[in-house]
Amino acid sequence: MTTQSYLPVPPGVGMEENFLSLDDILLSQEKLPTRTECVFPRLGFVEKTSDTRDIPEGTKMEMPLWLSKGLYDNKRRLVSVEQPKIYRQGWRTVFSADPNVVDLHKMGPYYYGLGSQLLHFDSPENPEIAQTVLQTYIGRFRRIMDSSQNAYNEDTSALVERLDVLERSLFRTGQAGLNDFQRWEKGQASQITASNLVQNYKKRKFPDLEA
Amino acid sequence: MDPSEVEFLAEKEMVTIVPNFSLDKIYLIGGDLGPFNPGLPVAVPVWLAINLKQRQKCRIIPPEWMDVEKLEEIREQERKEETFTPIPNPYYMELTKLLLNHASDNIPKADEIRTLVKDTWDTRIAKLRLSADSFVSQQEAHARLDNLTLMEINTIGTFLTDSLNHMYKLRTNLQPGKETGKSQDF
Repeated sequence: MTTQSYLPVPPGVGMEENFLSLDDILLSQEKLPTRTECVFPRLGFVEKTSDTRDIPEGTKMEMPLWLSKGLYDNKRRLVSVEQPKIYRQGWRTVFSADPNVVDLHKMGPYYYGLGSQLLHFDSPENPEIAQTVLQTYIGRFRRIMDSSQNAYNEDTSALVERLDVLERSLFRTGQAGLNDFQRWEKGQASQITASNLVQNYKKRKFPDLEA
Repeated sequence: MDPSEVEFLAEKEMVTIVPNFSLDKIYLIGGDLGPFNPGLPVAVPVWLAINLKQRQKCRIIPPEWMDVEKLEEIREQERKEETFTPIPNPYYMELTKLLLNHASDNIPKADEIRTLVKDTWDTRIAKLRLSADSFVSQQEAHARLDNLTLMEINTIGTFLTDSLNHMYKLRTNLQPGKETGKSQDF
């Protein structure tokens, strides 16, 4: 059976995040370039480059996503978030020209996730960012499908290294479907194998239990 | 679904055998299996046929579509058409595997048949992928494909539904003016 022993919580795609999903927790660690809009008193030690006691207004810092999301508010202007360069105009034209060429893993392994989260910070470019993210996904879909469904029993690391995290999970699903079918065709589907969770257990001998 | 589950469903199909033993009619929950007389052909479900064959109690007669010329015709038609052609049996892949593994001595030209079925399968899967790709690239809301078998749907199913889910969620990003979810007021 293909049911796993435990089902990990999947990441929330789009503008929500799943609280319990490990992928989303890692995503929220991504740094965004931000600019403080007011003084943060007595937090100077956080910003290592300046030696002042408080963080003055207008400092440019890199904040992780979870912090920026928490501090961002339309009414009380505490921080303002700038877009990382891959979501800006220059890179957007590259993506619209040919999405298949870009190494999405190097550009921040969470391109789609971070792109969707950026839409929380209102900015006039939001619709274009959303559109670019969607078009990139559509453009790369064909290649992911072809490579995941045709690489049986080969080393897939060359195919996977340019994909971002979302695409990698899709690739794994495609591979799983293919591998299941091939296993069935070879007749290995009805062979009983030890579960991979217990393969490392060694048999305990009775005298060991007593000690 | 698992391929093994699809195979289990395929084993309900009927196939003709020639038993070499005799037995009265047996009454099973799924239906009656009519009296077995040595040398007289009788229709039984595949699971029973395979079992009897393994115990050397019968000879399996291949279904009429499992024939080299017929399969060649089907393969050629599949290659010409852009849509899926109706195939003689909705479980052709599973039946081929089961019958050719257990009863290849009763089936003439077994290897050729295996190759022909594999070719037809490859063509159909390629068409399925093409169709999935055009579905995604044109962002259609729904699509309709006729004459697909369960095994083909099962192989590509999870991948397709996952990728369409992702695409849908990315598409809802485009709509402005929706609630931004939870926010905390201090």
